[in-house]
Amino acid sequence: MLLTAPAWAQRAHRLHRPHRSGLWAELGAGPGRVRIACSGCTDVVVASAPSGYLRIGGTVSERVLIGVEVFSSLDRAFGFSRGDTTTRAETATATVVVLWFPSRRGFFFKGGVGLAAGQFTVPGTAGVDTSNGGGIGLTFGFGWDFAISRKVAITTNLAAHVTAVGDVVLPGKRIDDVIATMYQGSIGFTFR
Amino acid sequence: MAIGQVALINTFVNRVDALVFKHDWARSGTRVWGEHLRLGWEWDEDAFTTNMFAHPYHGSLYFNAARSNGVDFFQSVPYAIMGSWTWEYFGEKYRPSLNDWYMTSFGGITLGEVFHRISATIRDNRATGRGRTLREIAALPMDPIGSLNRLVRGEWRARGVNPPEHDPGSYVFRIGGGARFAKGLMADSGVGRMGAMLVDLLYGDPFATEYRSPFDVFGVRLMLSSNGGFSSLRASGRIYGTNLNNPARRARHVLAVNTRYDFFKNRAQSVGGQSVEIGINSRWPIGSRGYAFRTSIFGDGILLGAIDASGTGLGTRTYDFGPGVGARWEFGFDRHGARFLRVFGQLEYIHAVSGASADHIVDFSGIEANIPIGRGFGIAAHSTVFHRTSRYSTAPKDERNYPEARLLLTWTKSGFKP
Repeated sequence: MLLTAPAWAQRAHRLHRPHRSGLWAELGAGPGRVRIACSGCTDVVVASAPSGYLRIGGTVSERVLIGVEVFSSLDRAFGFSRGDTTTRAETATATVVVLWFPSRRGFFFKGGVGLAAGQFTVPGTAGVDTSNGGGIGLTFGFGWDFAISRKVAITTNLAAHVTAVGDVVLPGKRIDDVIATMYQGSIGFTFR
Repeated sequence: MAIGQVALINTFVNRVDALVFKHDWARSGTRVWGEHLRLGWEWDEDAFTTNMFAHPYHGSLYFNAARSNGVDFFQSVPYAIMGSWTWEYFGEKYRPSLNDWYMTSFGGITLGEVFHRISATIRDNRATGRGRTLREIAALPMDPIGSLNRLVRGEWRARGVNPPEHDPGSYVFRIGGGARFAKGLMADSGVGRMGAMLVDLLYGDPFATEYRSPFDVFGVRLMLSSNGGFSSLRASGRIYGTNLNNPARRARHVLAVNTRYDFFKNRAQSVGGQSVEIGINSRWPIGSRGYAFRTSIFGDGILLGAIDASGTGLGTRTYDFGPGVGARWEFGFDRHGARFLRVFGQLEYIHAVSGASADHIVDFSGIEANIPIGRGFGIAAHSTVFHRTSRYSTAPKDERNYPEARLLLTWTKSGFKP
């Protein structure tokens, strides 16, 4: 018993300690909060929107993972002014991300830079008006990996995704230098 | 220690601006912090030199607070990022500026490591006396935080071993002074003449040393002009490298991933940014006395670029911000890395996300020859053309050409350790 107990404890520890090696992929979703600011705007517009992400990458070391993350948020009832819900706002980022685990536990910080896209659609009298923009994407946040087996983990994330997509031109309005920030709380599955 | 010094830099700069220079923007407090957290990022209207040089230099202070406390390159990166983020949110009354954060963080990392290594090369822990002090003072403008740390620790006088960064192995240092002739640079017509000073440093050689650590190989070019002072600064350092063929073969091909900082400013054009580039350096030796042809071909992604767009910027700002992509190539003839001939070209595309609704294409090409005349001295003749095309959604297309020639007396010092 004395000899087997440490072996059992080691097995349990190995199971619950996140295993970080090789290639990995993570898919998750959760509620988001969108905050849109622009040049010359004295206030910001805030709305709620569902969001999802896909992250794939490799392992640099036991504590550092590097990958590519695609994040998207969709709000079907967005508006650039209070009470307006006529706009369909889709924002997305594609970033190179680094995940840093300060300890051997599952807690990690995430940061990344890359590209962003935004599409704002308003149904008009003569069809649908759409404004597309592309620009800079940026993400940072933190999370926790809960290993449920050696190959699978449940991952929680709290992250901000910044998309600077330039000017949005819609019927009767022009919004300059739009910066949309999405705050996302999510749960995902990581496969290694 | 390093975290404390980053916080100290922000507190010191804020308090000096608020109490000594009486700047209203520095009178930040909890109400302002709350507003900043609520409103988030915007683009600012600062001058080109402030945004594209002063902020990266500021970022280098954060980065080197970590480096001078023994933190390695990659572990120092979060110090620049968080130092800049905390300054933007809590250090001033202006709303947090996304362009400031980008350039302070990423420009600060590139310039920070360049300054850290050049300073380590200038300082010599084995030297004594007045020469030692002069070396410490010479390094001060590039790495003030490192210099202060050394002063406090008594390292301005203490003798000891030098850090590995002190000796790059191979290097080429070239300084030149002379005249610069530019069409359209001084005025819209005619040729302008001005004095020019050029400094080139190649630290390390990608073919002489295997990749060991970030920026073990980098290149810097600085140009000063009599009509506009600080006119260009470019720094590019490898953060990863690997051999693409057997190092024992005569012809060598090396893959490199670099971070690059660009700053070009004169009366005709202002272009700059922070990029990551990936490409191949190749070298074909000629004979056995160190002569070789070299080529480089790189593709890059511009994390944040800036380009002048007169009258179409944001507010008082006269330039646009945006990400982009590009490529550059180079052909050279050298001996142990010291170029006699260099032919190069570069093409960059910047999509504006702040300022004008525009797409900018910039291409820059040239030929540079350096003819040795003995004792390290040489005559250099450069001919370059800067061309840009800007397409605006609300204004006519803008196309400009700036040919330029330089004639310089140069002095080259180099070392080569295979």
